[in-house]
Amino acid sequence: MIRMLAFVMSVLLCGPILAQPAPFDMSVERPGEDRAPAQPPARPGQVDPQAGDAVAPRAAQPATFRRHIMPFSTLSLTGEVDERIWSVYLTPGQAAAGERLTFAYQNAIVVAPEASVLSVIVNGRLIGEGPVQATEAPQTRTYNLPSDLLRAGSNEIRFRVLQRHRTDCTIQSTYELWTEIPSETAFIEFAGRDAGRLSTIDDIRAVGNNGEGRTQFNIVMPALAQPSKTASLMRLAQGLALLGHMPAQSVAVTETMPALGKPGELTVLLGAASGLAPLLRSMPDGASATSVAGFVQDDATGAPLLVLTGPDWSAVEAAIEEITKITERPSDVPRDVINTERWRLPQAPLFVSDKRLRFSELGVATSEFSGRRFRTAFGIALPSDFYAGAYGEATILLDAAYTEAVRPGSRIDIYVNGSIASTVPLDSARGGFVRHLPINVTLRHFRPGSNLVELEAVLLTEADSVCAPGTSASNEARFALFDTSEFHMPDFARIGLRPNLAATSGVGYPYRADGGPVALYLDRSDSETLSAAATFVSRLALAGESLPAIERIVTPLEVGDRNALFIGALPQLPNSVLTQAGIDTSGEVAWGSASDAGSRVVTQTALDEWRARLRGGGWRTPIASIEGWMRETFDISLSSLRIAPATESAFAPPDAATLLVAQAANPSGNATWTVVTSPTPTLLKEGVSAIADLTKWNQMSGHIATFEPLNGVVNTIPAMQFEFVPTQTPSFWNYRLIGANWLSTNILLYALLLVGLAILLGLSTAGLLGKLGRRL
Amino acid sequence: MSKVAALVAWVFLSLCVVALITLPVNLQTQLIASVVVVAFMALIKLVNAGGRWRLIALAFGTAIVLRYVYWRTTDTLPPVNQPENFIPGFLLYLAEMYSVMMLALSLFVVAMPLPPRPSRVATAAKYPKVDVFVPSYNEEASLLANTLAAAKAMDYPADKLTVWLLDDGGTKQKRDSTSLVEAQRAAARHLQLQELCDDLGVRYLTRDRNEHAKAGNLNNGMLHADGELIAVFDADHAPARDFLLETVGYFEDDPRLFLVQTPHFFLNPDPLERNLRTFEKMPSENEMFYGIIQRGLDKWNAAFFCGSAAVLRRTALDDAGGFSGSSITEDCETALALHGRGWNSVYVDRPLIAGLQPATFASFIGQRSRWAQGMMQILMFHFPLLKRGLSLPQRLCYMSSALFWLFPLSRTIFLLAPLCYLFFDLEIFTASGGEFLAYTLAYMLVNLMMQNYLYGSFRWPWISELYEYVQAVHLLPAVFSVLASPRKPTFKVTAKDESILESRLSEISRPFFVIFGVLFIALLITAYRVYAEPYKADITLVVGGWNFFNLVLAGCALGVVSERGERSASRRVKVSRRCEFGLDEAWYPATIEDVSANGARVQVYGLRGNPVVDTRAQIRFEPYSRQGTRDTLPVAIKNVESGSDITAVGCRYLPEVARHHNLVADLIFANSQQWTEFQRLRRINPGLVRGTLWFWWLSLYQMNRGFVYLFRSMGSGQREPGRAR
Repeated sequence: MIRMLAFVMSVLLCGPILAQPAPFDMSVERPGEDRAPAQPPARPGQVDPQAGDAVAPRAAQPATFRRHIMPFSTLSLTGEVDERIWSVYLTPGQAAAGERLTFAYQNAIVVAPEASVLSVIVNGRLIGEGPVQATEAPQTRTYNLPSDLLRAGSNEIRFRVLQRHRTDCTIQSTYELWTEIPSETAFIEFAGRDAGRLSTIDDIRAVGNNGEGRTQFNIVMPALAQPSKTASLMRLAQGLALLGHMPAQSVAVTETMPALGKPGELTVLLGAASGLAPLLRSMPDGASATSVAGFVQDDATGAPLLVLTGPDWSAVEAAIEEITKITERPSDVPRDVINTERWRLPQAPLFVSDKRLRFSELGVATSEFSGRRFRTAFGIALPSDFYAGAYGEATILLDAAYTEAVRPGSRIDIYVNGSIASTVPLDSARGGFVRHLPINVTLRHFRPGSNLVELEAVLLTEADSVCAPGTSASNEARFALFDTSEFHMPDFARIGLRPNLAATSGVGYPYRADGGPVALYLDRSDSETLSAAATFVSRLALAGESLPAIERIVTPLEVGDRNALFIGALPQLPNSVLTQAGIDTSGEVAWGSASDAGSRVVTQTALDEWRARLRGGGWRTPIASIEGWMRETFDISLSSLRIAPATESAFAPPDAATLLVAQAANPSGNATWTVVTSPTPTLLKEGVSAIADLTKWNQMSGHIATFEPLNGVVNTIPAMQFEFVPTQTPSFWNYRLIGANWLSTNILLYALLLVGLAILLGLSTAGLLGKLGRRL
Repeated sequence: MSKVAALVAWVFLSLCVVALITLPVNLQTQLIASVVVVAFMALIKLVNAGGRWRLIALAFGTAIVLRYVYWRTTDTLPPVNQPENFIPGFLLYLAEMYSVMMLALSLFVVAMPLPPRPSRVATAAKYPKVDVFVPSYNEEASLLANTLAAAKAMDYPADKLTVWLLDDGGTKQKRDSTSLVEAQRAAARHLQLQELCDDLGVRYLTRDRNEHAKAGNLNNGMLHADGELIAVFDADHAPARDFLLETVGYFEDDPRLFLVQTPHFFLNPDPLERNLRTFEKMPSENEMFYGIIQRGLDKWNAAFFCGSAAVLRRTALDDAGGFSGSSITEDCETALALHGRGWNSVYVDRPLIAGLQPATFASFIGQRSRWAQGMMQILMFHFPLLKRGLSLPQRLCYMSSALFWLFPLSRTIFLLAPLCYLFFDLEIFTASGGEFLAYTLAYMLVNLMMQNYLYGSFRWPWISELYEYVQAVHLLPAVFSVLASPRKPTFKVTAKDESILESRLSEISRPFFVIFGVLFIALLITAYRVYAEPYKADITLVVGGWNFFNLVLAGCALGVVSERGERSASRRVKVSRRCEFGLDEAWYPATIEDVSANGARVQVYGLRGNPVVDTRAQIRFEPYSRQGTRDTLPVAIKNVESGSDITAVGCRYLPEVARHHNLVADLIFANSQQWTEFQRLRRINPGLVRGTLWFWWLSLYQMNRGFVYLFRSMGSGQREPGRAR
């Protein structure tokens, strides 16, 4: 199962690149990172992820210590120019002992080696670069790290690629260019085994990731079955998550010691000294007298073990506080960036109201470009109560220049989270210098939390249409983007929605310290359920960068007006809770019991495909064809013209899904309930662990999200009925924008409102004119 | 109190509408709202709902227009840092905002026009003494004779009615002119008119110097007259018999009334009507003004003096120091001054005078230049919006009337704007195709529907635009010159008795052919760019469509400046009146078919043989003014068309004594009822679609005619200059 998950994840992460020579249909989907693949992977035997266990023997090698540095299963660099920046946390010991950075890469066969360069930059210093030439088999590159380069704390790693096609000059051909680096091949080697030692609580930040880009905290807790200790366990999970801050973290709670020494894992022993004694050969000093939070080293593997203990449970709780207090921030101080540094730099600045930022402040540098398809990206973070998706528009004020070689028909496309949001033609035949050219970017694809905005310039030239040999690699710049360009977010409507899984996944809303204590209901206290709960709670803490108090409840009756999480296998969860969350309770027995889930998925997919195919055929009714035209041209469908909100029927989870996350208001409508459930506790643990990965986590939105492990897909059900949760002090301007967004989703209502008001105005004018002026 | 409540409710609802339309909802919502509102308006228009529905339809329209304004202001202007786009873009924006402002002002004016007033016949016992002023500058004696005779023939006690000919063509200044020819002419005119006046029982008055043009002339008349009321008729405006009876009664009702204005009804077509042949079937240009706008102004007590066909109160004029003369439109200026002093005005919507209007395109333009320049002067000297003493509605009404004459600026910009893109590739209006559909198209449709709804039976679709275009070309410099030096323009009398005997191009037609050529090239460029630049075909098509619309206007204008020749020297009026035709001592039963200022066409029964041309004959008929008696008018036979029983005879009047002028006036002007009937027959609303199709056809035909005239004039080698008399 784990292997399968890893495989699925690698597909998800590097999918677009795997679509190697297959011709790309841009009109259907566009490659981009962090998105589901357009083509299934078809490269057996090239870089098969060795799924973690290949690392174990290496760990045993003496003299050096390795740390994987890529928090993705595979790093894919695509197109003519691409780069990825992130940071790796190093302990002081590691910073001093860094020796080499090693990675293996492979590239598309069409990449012209003489014109393509792969560069590695650490902390702003180029440590090595070379041609992109590994077309046949993966090629390993090792660069020595200057001794003064690495520093304790965050170290910025940047992989940059410049690629040109061997023969082709078309825009299409640029989609065939890729270079990829599997996570397991990329690591830094440190001199001496001691580099792997962790000594202070802060060193937890150096937990890193394994060869699949995943991170795991193993919490060994002899007393896990005691419900009264769950709250402390959750608090520890939150604290660890915030310290680790990796994109794909999970927590495994066990009573017994797991295998130690795996990369990207940290084992934590949690319990009273008496309880831990059987697990440890020697307890840390003073553990029987006072609370202790510190590292010990496993004798066999040399792996660090974090021990949180004390004479009694309150001392253990004090030890947990040692960890949480480092990251806890006051709940009334808003964030100004969403911290993404471990997986993407620059970080996404938070926009809560009207604000302009220059590209230089967003981390986009001035660049000149000689190819066909220029691409750059930056992050924009939005708050939980962002409610402007239906109406809003941000503006990019573009400073750019293009030479006269650039033919009309060229354009600049803006993508938001992988969806096209704007297109601006560059249609002057004389070349041009555009200063603060406004490009309106629809906010439709934005969501609470961090968002990726990509700017792509598609440049057509006469030379490219002729494509004489060698010209594809011409170095003459034809396009320049200046960092004086600006991104302008206007004031947007701000009001919380209930349910809204996007806000929950994006920024942890409302499960944050400012939302009050969170009631946690678990159907049982076994290892799987606790692991799932700890993973989910810690993922929420990471999303919200906040540590709300968790209070375990034993029956749903205790929940009161608190925001609540209900985590457990579906058969064990109370029906009242499931009904409230909109889950069909009649089918609960059936879910997950079907053995042929896989084949059903196939059938369903085929059915859907045929349905879609036949819809384009000759038997469409005229109404359907008009609707089709409206949808294509103006994005209006008949269903968007409804007046009354659509009714929601109870959701029966499909058999292909193994995890369901549903959100709803509580019965009194003043708090949020989120149900996380699976057919069995084991599936629950695996499912939560899988969706805790950033790439899937951020796909959750709306009312219900389900996860299908077989194809790694997160499906969502939008919220048809929702409640507004005021988050701002009431102001006319905010209500106006909220009204705009609401009416933009209730189109016909706006028209009717306008008609009604105009009729009233007409009547009132008639009345007024009858009283004013002369009358006969 | 209920007024305040109604006002508060209205303001509240307006704010609600403004709040709703300025909501930044997405494009899809805007699009659906546009479709729904346009459909609603079309429905209201189709079922021809009136009353409250009229105002509801206008509210719909206003909402869409306001939404367009908001969007246009916030979303479509080119960035300031691209001056080559921004400057023309901003000018276009200003021109559009000017149009919207004019729409708003005219909506205010005509939102609920007063219905035509019921006849208010003066009380017999209280007939006030009336002086009739007929100012003249250079009109011919025969024309004046008709007018004076008609004025003299008005039903009113003779002792209470004095008719004055105020002659500015025979002033001492003119008679003593250093130019010998001018001096001789003035002296002859002086004598001739004095004689005519004696004959007709009219007082002749002239003065020493031609100061302050028409206003000065009228003020000079006031120095000599002493009547309680003053009626003013232009030299070519002959009143119907009931003119005074229908107007003076209002002065009895309201002691603060200074003006009763009546419409100007024209017996002859203006050049556009004549050259496009629409006079008989389409409402005249000024009917929109006199049929609706003056009624709307009347609602707000802002009907203003139009220089003629009006009665004024002498005490009011004395209060304001007589007629104002600082602008060249003394009429409107005088009314503005008196409204500002708290006097009231009334408009009577019934044609009670008939007159002539300029026949040639050149004199038509001359007349309009005077109006435009005069209104600009009023705007600059008196700025009505801030003028003391006016009520707020009056201020808005006067602003509406004065600002209207800025249209040459906006029309020119609308003409040039598409060329910026087609010729120079400038992007002066930033919008996507979808936005254009949701906002601009809806705005244009709503605008057309509102115009049609407001003025439908008075103004056919696109005719306003055509009138504006044909005037704009020559009025633009006139407006600029008055803006540059406001005191410079002087009063020029418009010639109205010209005629065109031969078909020819107007002497000021050349710019129209040049503009047409440029727009046609732009059309070709549109086609080329759609083909050569398919990636921006949508923008090119939208801009090209706009240019095409301009081209249709320009094509139609070519017909307007191609003057059709007319056989008759002056316009004929259909009358159908029984009479007897006397030739060689014998009397034949006959009917007068039509009459003009110079002659009549008579169908005679039983006339044997062909009478010789220039033979003297007589017409005997019963005048309306003296029913029961018969009177004889001497004529000369000019042409004869023989039928089996009926012979059609064209004759020319040979008036010898004053009584004869009275008879001619009686024939042409006596019956105001027939004018009303004639107007009523033309007031048909063809609807938007039919009107537009008709206009396209008209444009195609007239463009063709314009080019035929052009080639003909090039063929004849420009030897014959224009033959306007």
